[in-house]
Amino acid sequence: MAVAWIGNREVLIEHAAAHAASLLSSSRCPVLSFDTDIDGTRAAIALAERAGAAYDHADGAALARETALFTDKGAMTVAPGETRRRADVVVIVGELPRIQHGLVGELAGTVPDLSTGNQRAFFVVGPDGMSVPPLNDGRKATRLSCGQASLAATLAALRAQYKGQRTSQPVSNFNDFAKALAAAHFPVFLFSGHAAEGLALEMLQGLIADLNRKSRASGLHLPANENGWGSTLASAWMTGFPLRTGFARGFPEFDPWRCDVARMIAAGEADLHLRISAATAQPQKKRARMALIVLTKTEKPVAGAAVTIAIGEAGLDHDAVVYSSRTGSLRSIDAQAASQLPSAATIIRLIATHAFAEALPC
Amino acid sequence: MLTKIAGGDIIDPVNGRLGKGDLWIKDDKIVPAPAGGAADRTIEASGCIVMAGAIDIHSHIGGGNVNTARLLLPEQHAAHQVRPATTPLSNAGWSTFQTGCLYAKMGFTTVVEPAMSPGAALHTHLELADIPIIDKATLAILGNDDFLLSMIRDDAPRTMIEDYVAWTVASTRALGVKVINAGAAAAFKENVRTFSLDDVVPSYGVSSRKIVKTLQAAVDSLGLPHPLHVHCNNLGSPGSADTAAATIAAADGLPLHLAHLQFYGYGTEGKRGFSSAAARLAELVNATPEVTIDIGQVMFGQTVTVSSDVMRQFSARGSAHPKKTVIHDGDGNGGGIVPYSYGKDFYGTMQWAIGLELFLLIDDPWRVFFTTDHPNGAPFTAYPALFELLMSREARTEMTAGLSRSALALSTLAAIDREYTFEEIAIMTRAAPAKLLGLTDRGHLGAGATADIAIYRRDRSIAKMLGRAAYVFKDGDLVVQDGEIVHYRWGKALRLKPPVDKAMVRRLEEYHQQRYGLSLDWFNFPDSAIAREQPFGEVPCRT
Repeated sequence: MAVAWIGNREVLIEHAAAHAASLLSSSRCPVLSFDTDIDGTRAAIALAERAGAAYDHADGAALARETALFTDKGAMTVAPGETRRRADVVVIVGELPRIQHGLVGELAGTVPDLSTGNQRAFFVVGPDGMSVPPLNDGRKATRLSCGQASLAATLAALRAQYKGQRTSQPVSNFNDFAKALAAAHFPVFLFSGHAAEGLALEMLQGLIADLNRKSRASGLHLPANENGWGSTLASAWMTGFPLRTGFARGFPEFDPWRCDVARMIAAGEADLHLRISAATAQPQKKRARMALIVLTKTEKPVAGAAVTIAIGEAGLDHDAVVYSSRTGSLRSIDAQAASQLPSAATIIRLIATHAFAEALPC
Repeated sequence: MLTKIAGGDIIDPVNGRLGKGDLWIKDDKIVPAPAGGAADRTIEASGCIVMAGAIDIHSHIGGGNVNTARLLLPEQHAAHQVRPATTPLSNAGWSTFQTGCLYAKMGFTTVVEPAMSPGAALHTHLELADIPIIDKATLAILGNDDFLLSMIRDDAPRTMIEDYVAWTVASTRALGVKVINAGAAAAFKENVRTFSLDDVVPSYGVSSRKIVKTLQAAVDSLGLPHPLHVHCNNLGSPGSADTAAATIAAADGLPLHLAHLQFYGYGTEGKRGFSSAAARLAELVNATPEVTIDIGQVMFGQTVTVSSDVMRQFSARGSAHPKKTVIHDGDGNGGGIVPYSYGKDFYGTMQWAIGLELFLLIDDPWRVFFTTDHPNGAPFTAYPALFELLMSREARTEMTAGLSRSALALSTLAAIDREYTFEEIAIMTRAAPAKLLGLTDRGHLGAGATADIAIYRRDRSIAKMLGRAAYVFKDGDLVVQDGEIVHYRWGKALRLKPPVDKAMVRRLEEYHQQRYGLSLDWFNFPDSAIAREQPFGEVPCRT
């Protein structure tokens, strides 16, 4: 099976890596986007430093909203294990990513053993018609909405009503919610940047802070993308900054607008894009003045790419460390179907050996 | 390779070497002077002080809470000067890479991260693995976790609790056990807002004292070299000296280490109800030989407080500067991140003075440890200035000129003449930490010791001298020369490996399946997950 191409021509991986390295070395404004495991992230960031590149997640917008909650506001959060064992009221805030629906179903199928009531009530905040993860046994979450008002507006109204203030439009089923909160010992709000705007996330934290004046409550962060949140953590320890950091001036600078890689590509700022993701590569819009290097799980070259190198999928083709929303931390997983395909980190390091005199630090 | 460090002033209290002499290194070990041996390399050390590499027993350098603090405070990096990029990621402010470089430049070669949540052990070790040059270690947090509290509540056999502690230490690759405001995080989840030594955790009926005593006994019985590392209740509160005094009394003949005692050195005298109780605590420590403490010195300026004492951090949210915090209810402790700026006002001055009083009034340098509780009292980069304050009364006097007079009036600091000697510094930052942690291979310069060596060129300014080592060797590799990194390498995480009881593993597997719906495999990891060659070094338990 061919595993590397320069343009449409099959080549040895070494040759493809060398060509990728030469493109990287001659680039004036390289950018990296990735959706990979922790090892791949570490290698990618180390390469970005050497190349003076900016880096971001391959689908960075939702993660940027989640990151901004922490960088700009702060948060009260709870571990998923404590949520399962303690949450007697669960509030689904906005539309959650599909990868998190299983956890919601699990919460619906269990009772909180560390709560005296041993039962859970479910609410969902968001506009009418918003999709809600399925609960077990036909149970339904009670809707809290202000008609078609935005999530942020609904949360603002909810917060105001909780404080006894008047609102222009009341939240549906508020009395049920207030009654549940009054009886609750540890309500937990499930949130994600998947569909929630920054203002909504901030308003939610305001509500949680209000609740904690007299009782307890917290929020369970369910990242829009688990690999992305894992990369955010690795980026923070490696550079001190989250994703959307760049090394253009030789040291790391975090700028969620300037280092938004999708924006840099669309604006024509980037002249080289190294895309790292085992997931099927979406067709790329060909850009005349930007070289594309793609590391992906593929059996054929990616259209428009100057270099394509096949990589394995973390946790399937090779062992990996990934973020898990189920534990709220990093987890080691074994390869489910180990293959000969190299990991993203292996290929990134190979490119680096051709581009730079010294090996990457990780 | 045979290296000779020639003509330095050697300060090695463990082996009684104090004075001018040579030191020999063969590969990664210190060796006796070879008969007629010719060195492959000679380091000229005349005019220099030669000590073992320093060891920091309590510095929050990696793990979930530290990383959350990085996320919370990207603006903190503006304070970092941009420096030439001579080493990988070395100018990445407040990163793992910079941490290792900055510690090495000061002559530190081993640093302990004192608060690892067992559920985040893999994350913690991945961060530690990305700290270059130095060796690291970490302490596993217990004492707010349901499994332990339930066992204590149910009067489980002593051996069963020991098996659990042993499993935790072994599976998380820890060097010891820490308890943080025992029981308070569990109580906070049930809306308890203050928690003292004899308060009881709701739903468990177990007091904080009982948790501490249970863990202290288990650690001792298992032969873990480092005594139970205790973060007491009521941190930062006026009157917290009473809590610290009660905890010291509770040691009751068994070894106990109290962390960052400065944060408990607070009395209630004066019109503000906040005064120094340092003299009282120092007297208690002096009279209780089984107790060791580290200080957690406050230095002035912006920092961020990072603690698994989630109840305390929640209560401190109002003092956040800038105004943003993270409070996390974890499976055991969780944590809180509260940025804070220590000003030279009454309270800041009082905290600063209390730390120095404790340093200077506790007589035995083998039982008092040099820390700022990085970054809680100050970043570890403040160490050189702190050394100067301990070694120079004049420096202390100069410093007090700009501080709160009303605070200093409630402190004994001005009346203390003591100045630490280099021998005492070598004990406090080298020999004693090695002894406390059970690291027999370091902290001294005897034959057979690991060649972790710091060489400082004498200077009138103690801060300049100890802040920028002339030479540093790590495992025999010359890593620092003239205060700059000259060789980039990877250290190890030092860990214990107590035997694990199979019945306890089965019990924990069942517990995790029942309570969390997960196999224990979700929390275990192979060494290979760290993606470094030989990421761990094993330290033996006491026999």
